[in-house]
Amino acid sequence: MAELDVRKPLPAITPEAKTFWDNAAEQKLTIQRCQACQAWVWTPKPLCNECGSDKVVWTPMSGKGEVYSFTVIRQVVGRAASKSFEPDIPYVIAWVDLEEGPRLITNIIGCPVDKVELGMKVTVQFEKASEKIWLPKFKPA
Amino acid sequence: MSITNKAAIVGIGDTPTDRLGSKPGEPRKSSAEYIAWAMQLALEDAGLSLKDFHGQGLGVTIPTAYPQPFWPEEVSEILGITPGFLLGGATGGAGAVSLIGGMSAAISAGLIDLALVVGAAAPFSEHWGGGIQPGDMRDWEIPYGTMGPNSKIAMVMRRHMHEYGTTLDHLGKIAVTARYHASLNPLGYLRTPMTIDDYKNSRLVADPVRLFDCVMPANGGKAYILASPERAKTLRKKPVWVKGFGERSNPSYGPRAGSDALVMGVKDAGRVAMEMAGVKHKDINFLQLYDDYVIVVYLQIEDLGFCKKGDLKFFEDTDFTFKGQLPIQTGGGIINCGQPSTAGGVHHILEGVRQLRGEGGERQVANAKIGLISGLGVLPYGKNLGCCAVAILGNEV
Ligand SMILES: [Zn+2]
Repeated sequence: MAELDVRKPLPAITPEAKTFWDNAAEQKLTIQRCQACQAWVWTPKPLCNECGSDKVVWTPMSGKGEVYSFTVIRQVVGRAASKSFEPDIPYVIAWVDLEEGPRLITNIIGCPVDKVELGMKVTVQFEKASEKIWLPKFKPA
Repeated sequence: MSITNKAAIVGIGDTPTDRLGSKPGEPRKSSAEYIAWAMQLALEDAGLSLKDFHGQGLGVTIPTAYPQPFWPEEVSEILGITPGFLLGGATGGAGAVSLIGGMSAAISAGLIDLALVVGAAAPFSEHWGGGIQPGDMRDWEIPYGTMGPNSKIAMVMRRHMHEYGTTLDHLGKIAVTARYHASLNPLGYLRTPMTIDDYKNSRLVADPVRLFDCVMPANGGKAYILASPERAKTLRKKPVWVKGFGERSNPSYGPRAGSDALVMGVKDAGRVAMEMAGVKHKDINFLQLYDDYVIVVYLQIEDLGFCKKGDLKFFEDTDFTFKGQLPIQTGGGIINCGQPSTAGGVHHILEGVRQLRGEGGERQVANAKIGLISGLGVLPYGKNLGCCAVAILGNEV
């Protein structure tokens, strides 16, 4: 039987997300913004989900936000790739609302799991996952 | 346009569920065997035979466990049917209810006058490797270590508790009620009644989601048969009429990049279905709500408009048992009867039909005339459930 692959799964660098990952590798958090109606577009899309315009432009974000909600992962379940997260247990997955508006699924790092709270102010910190992928995670501000 | 009273459910088939070895003597059956078994039960119930379905409708719920784009066609091969109208229920756990809409519309338009809808899965006896498919989950969720829907529903549950003061007592009441009903259902799997403390003491899976918040995967098959009014009147059982139907996919409440995750698409789907059926809240005798999680049942009761969002007192004061003011989950739900992947959505339809026929046994809702059934599927990035379908069924034209 083959060895279980315990490497963490990485996102694919899709055409619509390439700029996001290029910027992330330079420690810059950017989100698409519609030039026609000013709506934020997240996750990356070929057009504005509010008005349909294709004039969506990658826009720098402050990297500041707050925890909308979170969960503490205490056991791995499901697909084989989940196993790769076992050494990190317990860890926090959160919805972070950026101060500009968009809500991201991310990890809260640099904070004991029992100290994470709703409404907690956080700031982005990129973590290297591969040569090309730096994941935006968040730590207490 | 409306499909009210244009089609009726005339047959149901519900196999026992199993978890392959969790209880002694459980069988090892394939999806194909469950599909055939469920269909046979439904044919017997309706007084129809296989040959009645040639050139008619076949709807199949598409399981999430493995990619099989030709699954509905393969099911026709398994069963030996040559459908004249073939639909795949591709809205996850909502598929079973979505297919009530699609098939009733086809019957109403005169394309067919019978439709078999069937679903099955055997996650404990069949295994597929399955890579991670393209999409938001692969690119924006799994790299952070999300563990399927548990992670996202846990965040919904915590936020609801934070905003409205919802406690484990409020949520536990739903869980205890459903288990009580399962104890009265011969097709229940978890049939030992539980207390609110059993719920509160069940182990944490993804804070604040506990084991007894979660649906229970199982092997099993389920089916129902729809017929035109003319056919329905000639068959064995009293027809259960489709009174209303509504569906909302990819719902967003507020900006799409930051939608209100505490509101579900049943808010829209339910309103459309109730308007079509011409019923008000007081007319509805029971709810069979899709129950992948306890909090999801709770949110639906709010979003269907039975109370205001965050009205804790309503949940404290209402008796949700089959004897109460607002019976819910009278068969126990799939949390207690088992979820054969997306075929789990059929459970709620079958229980609704039993209640409207007066076949509810020890858990029969007295004088039930109108019931609301919901189906839900998929948890998209940053939002609540993505596919929401609601059907109103009734036993009078
Ligand atoms: Zn726009």
